[in-house]
Amino acid sequence: MKISTIIRYVLLGIFNALMFYIVPLAISYESWFLLLIVGIITFLINITYLTNRLKPLKWITPGFIFLLAFVVFPAGFNFYVSFTNWQTGHILTKTQVIERLEDLTFSTEEQRGVEFDLYVMQDSDLDYYFLADLDENNLLFGKAITSDEFNTINYANHEPSFKDSNNNIVIPESLYLLSGKEQIANSSQLQELSLLVDKNTRINLYNISVFGASSGRIFSSQQKYSYDSDTDILYDNTQNVACTLGDRGNFICGGESVDPGWRITVGSENYQRIIDDERFRGPLSTVATWTFQFAFFSVLLAFFVGLFLAVTLNNEKVRFQKVYRSIYIIPYAIPGFISILVFRGLLNPDFGLINDWLDPIYQLLNIEPIRWFRTEASSKAAVLLVNTWLGFPYMFLIVTGALQSIPTELIEASKVDGATPRQSFWRITFPLLLVSISPLLIGAFAYNFNNFTLIFLLTGGGPPLVGADVSVGYTDILISFTYNLAVSGGRGVQFGLAAAVTTIIFFLVLIISAISFRYSKRLERIYGNI
Amino acid sequence: METSKLTKWIREYGWRHLVGVFFVVFSMYPILYVITNSFADFANLQNSKLIPDALTLKHYRSLYEDSLVPYFRWLFNTYKIASIAGLFNVLLGTLAGYAFARLKFRGRRVGLITLVLIQMFPAFLAFVAIYLLFFQISDVAPFMGLGTHFGLICVYLGGSIGFNSWLIKGFMDTIPTSLDEAAKVDGANDSQIFFRIVAPLARPIIVVLFVITFIGIYSDYILAAVFLKDPNLYTVALGINVVFMDDFSNEWGSIAAASVIAATPIAVLFLFFQKQITGGLTAGSIKG
Repeated sequence: MKISTIIRYVLLGIFNALMFYIVPLAISYESWFLLLIVGIITFLINITYLTNRLKPLKWITPGFIFLLAFVVFPAGFNFYVSFTNWQTGHILTKTQVIERLEDLTFSTEEQRGVEFDLYVMQDSDLDYYFLADLDENNLLFGKAITSDEFNTINYANHEPSFKDSNNNIVIPESLYLLSGKEQIANSSQLQELSLLVDKNTRINLYNISVFGASSGRIFSSQQKYSYDSDTDILYDNTQNVACTLGDRGNFICGGESVDPGWRITVGSENYQRIIDDERFRGPLSTVATWTFQFAFFSVLLAFFVGLFLAVTLNNEKVRFQKVYRSIYIIPYAIPGFISILVFRGLLNPDFGLINDWLDPIYQLLNIEPIRWFRTEASSKAAVLLVNTWLGFPYMFLIVTGALQSIPTELIEASKVDGATPRQSFWRITFPLLLVSISPLLIGAFAYNFNNFTLIFLLTGGGPPLVGADVSVGYTDILISFTYNLAVSGGRGVQFGLAAAVTTIIFFLVLIISAISFRYSKRLERIYGNI
Repeated sequence: METSKLTKWIREYGWRHLVGVFFVVFSMYPILYVITNSFADFANLQNSKLIPDALTLKHYRSLYEDSLVPYFRWLFNTYKIASIAGLFNVLLGTLAGYAFARLKFRGRRVGLITLVLIQMFPAFLAFVAIYLLFFQISDVAPFMGLGTHFGLICVYLGGSIGFNSWLIKGFMDTIPTSLDEAAKVDGANDSQIFFRIVAPLARPIIVVLFVITFIGIYSDYILAAVFLKDPNLYTVALGINVVFMDDFSNEWGSIAAASVIAATPIAVLFLFFQKQITGGLTAGSIKG
């Protein structure tokens, strides 16, 4: 056996072991989708590297797995989530909810009225201890703890040694017995402390007495809910009622739905809400309209600035062309998140330099300075201005490239036929230019359609759209709007709804791409054979 | 005579330079502004201007000294994530590209088209599902769950592998097959042909795609924001925008210094590979 074969089997073994370690965990967390993806990947890896028939897969599988697991699979999962009520209050699975509910307890005062002597002591570390004299067989002693520490097992023990033969309390020398006055001085602290008898029973200081021993009482806590998995019924032990299953992924006990609920599939409800719910549809259509406007005008502005510059400078007799070009590329070279940050400083309505420059104009026209980012129009203008700055170098580069690849004979031939430079530009150069760069323009449109970074970092979607049911602003585009729904938003996270909006964006991108494809085909047919 | 020549020059070319210079100012102003501000001795955004009155290094020093703002940690995190993800991206992309360019198998065309179709959708679009997926992974395999760099790297890996495979395949198509055939005659197998002949010859595109992927990940915001919660694990894009935003005006000096440090290496890298990057982008897009 060759050494490479051995290495292959060892790696495969390690991989499979890891996957089989994940399977039971995924089952216990009910992560069915995770299980599915783990299953597919394991199958793919094994079939690729154990059989010798599928040679090409050996090269493709490693990359394909990442594509599958983190691009294709999330897209499908996203589609599934859009049909659920996965949101704040419905994050967990039903099993997890039942576990949570069964952990809840409530307290009852058992043996009401039954009081007994309780002695409070302190050790040299100033920790408190309780000694409860219940009866002959129950002289309970232990450290008094706060409710935070209940999970540390620290149960009281029966300690007969604390009494002498005359039934008097004897305190060991290591402990100090607090008098009634001292107990009153520390009462707020002492009230928080309990002596744990067992998991559900504790003893608290009930009444501090200055003369004689203080008294204690037993409190026992009970499980608030108990679940019967055979009948799928939850019992509410506080009201002694059986709870019913609500149809929203909740238990309903005595008419009240219990929090937390679990996630369930709700059919097309999220989509219905997008279409029907007036308070949601209004903002969404505002956002969708602006998304198209923003993407369109961003491309248009950047393209025309780039085109104008390219045409202006694309002339053999213009000197310093190289210098101009290398300068125009620089904005494109800076990471976007940095440039956006700088523009936030420049456009700042109170201290920004742009308002300083515009000041003479404001004075001249006798108008108020523009409150950048605070009004709808100024925010939209700012977004487009910054995006033009970010985008024109790319357009300048591709237009220059395309211009130089257009055969000069065509232009010269048109000159001979008597066309003016303007005519030959708009009739010949421009259409040819569009043929070669229209796929890039549509690509730029699709890019800006989802340009989250620009919107989120420049305006944060603001200024806020007043009266909307969801957190949304005038410059929010679909993707930043979705981000708010899923991540922040005033009403908790709404994954289901966000996933539904994302699914719609998926389809829009699909349509844009399809148009791009057909359009470039058609242009090729029209102009491609010149 | 002389004056009419001058007017002619102005009418023919002068206005072109006027336009050219205007856009030089337009493109360079924000960049110069942030550079001078990072060295300028002022208190806040209100007192900032393009040409500073006095120079200082205090903004850079404060980035280094302020223990509440682990700026250089963010920078390190970003370089780590972007280089690991970029490296594996081109490695796996080269392997797949090789199979599509050189091996004959059923479903090759379909596979290629699928690859391009998938990559039409930006990977971050499904961020809700990615978040929920990794939320579940956190339970099962905490080392790659939410909030870990490992998980984020995995997501970035999926993000552009299809695109890269496609471009690498296109480049490998231009490498003459006569080379591999000669090697085959000499008894070389597929992996020898790959490692000794095709991959070394495809190095230019591999380097360029690494640079493009690296810059892309370096500049990403949304996935890092969805993934990372611990400020010590932030990337620089996330760190600058989350931590400094509370006190934008007073932090302006630090923001400028942080921006200069974060942007300079990337800008230099980009300008160095500019021809290949823009060439590759246009070629790839037109083909797609």
